[in-house]
Amino acid sequence: MAVYKRTYRAYEGEITPSWSRFLVLYRFSRRNLFRSKFQTAFFVLCFFFPVLCLLGIYANSHLSAFSFLGNRGSPFLDINGSFFVIYLSVQASLAFLLTAFIGPGLVSPDLANGALTLYLCRPLSRTEYVLGKMSVLLITLSWITWLPGLVLFFVQASLAGSQWMFDNAWIASGLVIGSLIWILVLSLLALALSAWVKWRIVAGALLLGILFLGAGFAQAINAVLRTQQGYIFDISKLISIVWHDLFRDAADQPFSVTEAWIGLLAFAAFSLLLLMRKVRANEVIR
Amino acid sequence: MTDRIVFENVSKFYGDVLGVNRVNLSIPPGITSLVGPNGSGKTTLMNLMTGLIRPSHGSIRILNVTPDQPEKLFHTVGYCSQFDSLPKTLTGYQFIYSYLQLYGFDSAASDELAWRAIDRVGLREAAHRKAAGYSKGMRQRIRLAQSIAHNPRVLVLDEPLNGLDPLVRAETIALFRSWAEEGCHVILSSHVLHEVDIISDQVILMSGGYVAAEGNIQAVRSEIQDHPMQILIRCNRPGELAARFFGENHVVEVRIHNDRRGLLVKTSDPDRFYLLMNRIALDGFSVESVAPVDDDVNSVYEYLIGSKEVTQ
Repeated sequence: MAVYKRTYRAYEGEITPSWSRFLVLYRFSRRNLFRSKFQTAFFVLCFFFPVLCLLGIYANSHLSAFSFLGNRGSPFLDINGSFFVIYLSVQASLAFLLTAFIGPGLVSPDLANGALTLYLCRPLSRTEYVLGKMSVLLITLSWITWLPGLVLFFVQASLAGSQWMFDNAWIASGLVIGSLIWILVLSLLALALSAWVKWRIVAGALLLGILFLGAGFAQAINAVLRTQQGYIFDISKLISIVWHDLFRDAADQPFSVTEAWIGLLAFAAFSLLLLMRKVRANEVIR
Repeated sequence: MTDRIVFENVSKFYGDVLGVNRVNLSIPPGITSLVGPNGSGKTTLMNLMTGLIRPSHGSIRILNVTPDQPEKLFHTVGYCSQFDSLPKTLTGYQFIYSYLQLYGFDSAASDELAWRAIDRVGLREAAHRKAAGYSKGMRQRIRLAQSIAHNPRVLVLDEPLNGLDPLVRAETIALFRSWAEEGCHVILSSHVLHEVDIISDQVILMSGGYVAAEGNIQAVRSEIQDHPMQILIRCNRPGELAARFFGENHVVEVRIHNDRRGLLVKTSDPDRFYLLMNRIALDGFSVESVAPVDDDVNSVYEYLIGSKEVTQ
């Protein structure tokens, strides 16, 4: 065809920076997230305990208001590392349940519909795809773990004074680091299960199974081999050791914090490996 | 050659499984059809063109863009896979809009490009309906729209005519033709050989991971020496004409047509045969038509690949 006859004109406008593309996946996945009334109600319910803690912190520093209850002015709550370990344990359990509801629906529909081909024939790499899908869990779970935790920390700091805040700054960092490592492990585990198990309900059940069966398996190993090393298969024990260390809460632990960190990171790495094996533009059937 | 899709000695192996082997191609603008039985390497070739997989050996350049320039490559190429990848919860418009955002278009540009693509496939009325309520033809058209929405110059379409009724099929073929006329590359795979014949400017015949033939189908046919060309002649005196042909050493076989108003000639040298026909016309034979009957994709496919697997 003669060149002058060609009417094709390419797009010549501005385009958004490539680093921000994964957020498109987050925006569109988030829409589906709160379509279910149950999920929305559960998400709202996750704020009940932080609100209760907030009221407790407030009441703790305004004891005179509760003199009619016979309180003689001594604080009934110690706002310290142990308090935030309890807070994080409750919120992390809720985060786990929320992940079991949300996680399985993130990757499996794309694999079932062959949509990965369409994603990856755009300027979006496999890593960005995983990051986009993971950001749904990272952001949603952050809303119920470390973000309200930091609010509690700063409320307590505003009531107890700036000295308390500087003396206990490690609580804030513990909240962020402790929550993020838990969210990371949960997200990768949920995405890996979503990629390998087609049915959402089965994938959700498997996620719960990994937590409870892992704990059971750990106990069985400990009992049979008369050891404490079986806990390496128990994610809840591993994260508990890390949290107690981050919040300087002394407790008898079966193994060192370093080993717990290695165990958690190994879980995350194994999940990532499983996930990346499935997130491909094409599948070779031998 | 900046307007060509070039494969230079490209091989792709999935472990020990052969995808394609030693492929050399130079595809000009226009409609190019990939034809071959299942497992012949058509989808591998398409995946290589779209940058979804990298070759094990050799190099690929899409209009002088290599797969090492993903941002540029993915803006150049549009892909419509054979999978029905429409999320049921999204509307047709949202489906196209969301994928446009992944290209880096801002909201206003995505909106404009999405509507332009929707208009091109004639789905404006249904654009705000959920994809779950679309018919198969509508789903196919919205998938085509997503592949053209970012205004690519190379369109790779895997089985794009599957599931379309005859009317929509004709409209879709017209759409392909209009893209080709704009100077775009339309690369499509199809199992329907008579359609390939009608719409393609050139074909690539694949077999067992190798390119069996490529180019204009008539040119490919003329290269096949093992099978003499079959030519149907409609004329008033077929018996006399047959006697005339028997004297020529390039004529392999002559058969008089059942209605006795024509004859089928097999010749090993079509050029000499046509020269002969010129002389015959001057000798007073009334020749109504002279037409080759086996220079279509179906025949070439059968001669080269030796299977009727894809024919319908």
